[in-house]
Amino acid sequence: MAKLKLALYWAAACGGCDVAVLDINEKILDVAKLADIVFWPIALDFKYHHVEAMPDKSVDVCLFNGAIRSSEQEHIAKMLRSKSKVLVSFGSCACFGGIPALANLTTRAEIMERAYIEAPSNENPNKTLPQTKVSVPEGELTLPELYDNVLTLAQVVPVEYFVPGCPPTVDLILKVVNALATNSLPPVGATIASDKTLCDECDRKKEKKMISRIYRTHEIIPDPERCLLEQGLLCMGSATRGGCGALCVKVNIPCRGCFGPPAGVFDQGAKLVSSIASIYQTNGKQDIEKMVNELVDPAGTFYRFGMSVSMLKRRIPQKT
Amino acid sequence: MKKITIDPITRLEGHGKIDIFLDDAGDVANAYLQIPELRGFEKFCEGRPVEELPRIVPRICGV
Repeated sequence: MAKLKLALYWAAACGGCDVAVLDINEKILDVAKLADIVFWPIALDFKYHHVEAMPDKSVDVCLFNGAIRSSEQEHIAKMLRSKSKVLVSFGSCACFGGIPALANLTTRAEIMERAYIEAPSNENPNKTLPQTKVSVPEGELTLPELYDNVLTLAQVVPVEYFVPGCPPTVDLILKVVNALATNSLPPVGATIASDKTLCDECDRKKEKKMISRIYRTHEIIPDPERCLLEQGLLCMGSATRGGCGALCVKVNIPCRGCFGPPAGVFDQGAKLVSSIASIYQTNGKQDIEKMVNELVDPAGTFYRFGMSVSMLKRRIPQKT
Repeated sequence: MKKITIDPITRLEGHGKIDIFLDDAGDVANAYLQIPELRGFEKFCEGRPVEELPRIVPRICGV
């Protein structure tokens, strides 16, 4: 079999997905046997003009991580889409918006103001903000336009597969590698993870106990054997796709939903609200108000990794 | 003035590009490093519960 041509790219991301590819350790040698890497900014010295020069559909597989929040990222996403036969939305940012999509709770103007003017470490008396074009004595410099909205890859271009996780686990990455090696990719549109919820793969005891208050993580030391939600901690397990091996809950930390909604669930936050509502003991309106007050940051918690694909999508700034 | 653009800067964590301007003699007249990326942690961490930040800010850089 001829070697596959593989591209990897990061948009609005932290680089953790790229490192996760290296976390497969010696199996990276199998990848090297299977594929020639034709683009991978973190590791290899290919430039954008090299990618531009590639014929359409000449890249067999592109693992694309990161969300889309600038004109450059949208441009590269469209370019890699046309160059690639198979485009994989790799990691939570590309699939659901991820942590960068928390920016949808604010606005581009507020972000610029905070980062370039208000931040105490800045010295910017003229309140200069990044511009898409700026003239310097020697010529012109350009920067991409920062978008108000953080989008997923699939909200910008069609995508063949989704590999969730912040970052995707070694097991899932090996699943992708093996599927490529044996030419046994699943049907287009598939999410390469479990179809069930995280609760289905969590070993903790569920006792169908009701809760009378919600705790913040620093307020209690949870029992390592019992369901975290039934101990009053906001654990996203019931609203989150499985496939990670319950990594966080195994170390007594509640799930924050980085695998996104499970198959058949439209909105991750609404699903969790329904889980909480089914176990929160209430005797009337005042208890419901108490519960609402105990949820300190519902939007930022229920949609920690999934703001871009949520029903909310973003905060609508108040008109002044 | 001739401009050489290196985009993206590779083999590091983060996004960057360099524009180098050359004068008529072919010497470097000036060079500019630009960071074409901003996610806004400075702003969107505001309003998040403080005990959650150790789970959010590691995503500034995952390398």
